[in-house]
Amino acid sequence: MTQNKRILLALLILLLIVTAVLLIENGRRQAQAEQAQSLMPPGMPTAAPGSIPIYYNDDLTASFQPTDLEQLTRANFTDTEEGKTQEGWMLRDVLRLYLPAAELTPETIVTVISNHRGKSVQLTWAEVDAPVNMVMFDLSGRGTLKLVSLLPRLDTREEWVQDVDRIEVISNQ
Amino acid sequence: MSRYFSTFQLVLLALFAALVVVAKIALKLPLQLSGHSGIFWMALIVVAAGIVPKPGAASLVGLTSGILAAFLGLGDFGALNTFLSYTVIGIGTDLALLLLRDLENLTVAALVGAIGHFGKFLVKWGLGALTGAPVGFVALGLTKAMIGYIVFGAIGGVLGALTLRALRRAGFFVYLAEKR
Repeated sequence: MTQNKRILLALLILLLIVTAVLLIENGRRQAQAEQAQSLMPPGMPTAAPGSIPIYYNDDLTASFQPTDLEQLTRANFTDTEEGKTQEGWMLRDVLRLYLPAAELTPETIVTVISNHRGKSVQLTWAEVDAPVNMVMFDLSGRGTLKLVSLLPRLDTREEWVQDVDRIEVISNQ
Repeated sequence: MSRYFSTFQLVLLALFAALVVVAKIALKLPLQLSGHSGIFWMALIVVAAGIVPKPGAASLVGLTSGILAAFLGLGDFGALNTFLSYTVIGIGTDLALLLLRDLENLTVAALVGAIGHFGKFLVKWGLGALTGAPVGFVALGLTKAMIGYIVFGAIGGVLGALTLRALRRAGFFVYLAEKR
């Protein structure tokens, strides 16, 4: 076999693998979207694949959708651990999209959860709302959201919450 | 040429494995793109496979660096993920080399680098899918990641090929032939 044919064959194999991954991932997206939609109360918008449910006082109140990102301002900071730039969307802006401002008091508890990683972090609204803490979502390499921050108890990779799949807000009001 | 590795070749491959781990720790590129470490990673693997042109050389570098990296606690997804990611890069490179041989050819080296590095993506994605990781929040996130792994792997392969050419011009392969 000539060199050119070998190169073409290798390219074809690579293309086939990429196509297979995309097809499988598309199937996963559909399956997860259907599962998320089955949890949505009647009258709520359609849950897009990868969307993140927001629970307010244990009730499913909203679903954070990729289309909502257009309404949010981007933010960034350089992490202290590796000096990399973390870029994304502030958690306070996300919550303000779905919850009335009056419900978010400084004592309100916000829990960001990754069931897949078995990780979660509990923050007060005062911590989330303080711009200096930079509590925000950064987009991970494979497109999932990870919660990053400059807060001393949430400023390393070990403490960040990768693959976020649920947000809970508990208000004392 | 014997199909077995000589002690000298095994020492060389172990050094490359250590270099892969050191490079992963020490070399940080200010790029916010998935798979950018493939630039130096695949360059090292391609050079290793070019210097020790025997089946399994890249896999051995991958396996050794995987064991080292897992013990050093590298990676965000745990030891198994780290070990498999490093090992599969070597295995993917060796599989590509079954079809493509002349590593000093830039096109061949780019393809070998892309295929080898894409193996790492497959491990990360595959383990995520098997363990029920959420799908990407942004629809094109995974596609961008795949492109990143392929492109940076290809760039690494080209850098490796250029290094091999430079080593040949410097007479390194003549020196190696005497050592064997």
